[in-house]
Amino acid sequence: MFSYNRLLFLIDHLIWGILVLVFVFFIFQSEYFLTERNISNILTAAAVLGVLVAGQTFVLISGNFDLSTESTLGLAALVGIWLIVPAGPTTFGGGIYMNPYLSIICSLSMGALIGYIIGCLITYGNMHNFIVTLAALLVIRGLMMAFTEGAPVSGFNNPSADVFYWLGHEKAFKVPGLGKISVAVLATGLVYIVCHLILKHHKFGRELYAIGGNRDAAEALGINVNRRIRQVYMLSGLLAALGGWMLAGRVVSIQSNLGETFIFTVFAGAVIGGVSLQGGRGTMLGALGGVLLLSTIDRGLNLMQVSVFWIKVIQGSVILVAMLIDAQRVRLKELSIIATSEKK
Amino acid sequence: MKILELKNISKSFGAIHALENVDLDITPGEALGLMGDNGAGKSTLVKIVAGNFSPTNGEIFVAGKKTSISNPLEARNHGIEIVYQDLKLCNNLTASANVFLGREINSGFGVFSRLKHTAMNDRAAELFGELQSETRPNDVVERMSGGQRQAVALARTRLSDPKIVLLDEPTAAISIRQVAGILARIKQLKETGHAVILVSHRMMDVFEVCDRVAVLRRGNKIADKPIANTNPEEVTGLITGALEKA
Repeated sequence: MFSYNRLLFLIDHLIWGILVLVFVFFIFQSEYFLTERNISNILTAAAVLGVLVAGQTFVLISGNFDLSTESTLGLAALVGIWLIVPAGPTTFGGGIYMNPYLSIICSLSMGALIGYIIGCLITYGNMHNFIVTLAALLVIRGLMMAFTEGAPVSGFNNPSADVFYWLGHEKAFKVPGLGKISVAVLATGLVYIVCHLILKHHKFGRELYAIGGNRDAAEALGINVNRRIRQVYMLSGLLAALGGWMLAGRVVSIQSNLGETFIFTVFAGAVIGGVSLQGGRGTMLGALGGVLLLSTIDRGLNLMQVSVFWIKVIQGSVILVAMLIDAQRVRLKELSIIATSEKK
Repeated sequence: MKILELKNISKSFGAIHALENVDLDITPGEALGLMGDNGAGKSTLVKIVAGNFSPTNGEIFVAGKKTSISNPLEARNHGIEIVYQDLKLCNNLTASANVFLGREINSGFGVFSRLKHTAMNDRAAELFGELQSETRPNDVVERMSGGQRQAVALARTRLSDPKIVLLDEPTAAISIRQVAGILARIKQLKETGHAVILVSHRMMDVFEVCDRVAVLRRGNKIADKPIANTNPEEVTGLITGALEKA
């Protein structure tokens, strides 16, 4: 028998079906698509994006936005390398020669601190999260530019920067069929497992859903909503800095525009994965599906030698289609509510 | 013995005096009807007892001990449970998640704790059974009828063994058949020694289950008398202002 519930279940997990379809499509389009090298490329490209989307998913579920993560990612990468490389031309570092492990701790804590400050501005300052994070996006990017005066900071061929390249570039082990799995992919996988556990099986995650679903109710039942919001932004900042660490290990030098416009892809990934912009809805697994879909499309179009200009058009269309599906999901839900309440 | 005693409670929001020197008390096994027109201060009073607002002035005694209730969790720890007028449900969560919201059952500690889904679902199913509701723990609240939603909100009050149960307009948004269920529930709470405060507009409900009725008008308590010594006409007059004082 036709059942709305079954249909809803299908639509809720549609992302994986689409992913398979897109995958098959590209296999027929390019003989190189199913090579180990390409699969490993897709996964590596998904790694940095994935970390940012994971952070954004927490923020979105709590009913907030964080537009600033792309700048936090850039600044974290920049500071991390700057602290360890020599000053002067070719490297443009700070000449501090900090221990690289210490510099990573500095960079990650800075990311968390930025998130905490944003959270404080929103909760204590009573400001709208959209405006605060938009301002933070500009301020942090501006700081990066002012700090380096546009010079690219480079840790290339510097043994101290090895720990960055370890996360960004190193291959952990070889999996037949999937190619060499990089450390970055493993790290992102781990991030998703932990984030999934937090969201699904920890009180913290449950409270985020409650806040995103009905903030008023969450408050009335004794959840410290403002504190949770500060924590969520901290988490988002920390994950952005982790993404920065990964990305710093993948690029030769860190330009002051590292990560710019990345935020659009981050939102696209989360939304395509079924995370609602209205808050309270979405899962880590869905978000991961969105990330994989985006990077699969990206690599596939690359292999098909589609012009860079058209890639943007296609990415935009993918977002539109995803939103269209989401809108139908909401409508179907309403239909099914009517159907079930009429039965009673 | 008084289980809850409010003395000289006042609450102002800027220049607006929502409550002025209100005294209220209740004993175990008693049901008090709290009545008044819109804006009379009923909800403010409920929120003070629930810990959502702190009073500008006045004292609260729970079981004879002076207490301050600065947040909803403290109210619960003092044995005060509230069913809010708008029920305070999260539509995106399941019935069981809503029942346990704010006091989930965990295993482990702090960062390494884990929600015990099965334990919570089992307990929620038990509670729905006691309430004679067909609600299943894993149903999502947004797909429920008014009565089922009410059952979820009521189930929350039964998680602990409360001494005082506050019901803010519990019969406002449900069908007639379900109203009878709620009233039966209130009688049952009385019989088991709970103190019940029923905030309601519905004269019929108050006269059916309450032992005493208190009337608020413009932030002042203007009447507080046993149900046996009054009648719906008098109470209506007090609420509207046709009668100045009881």
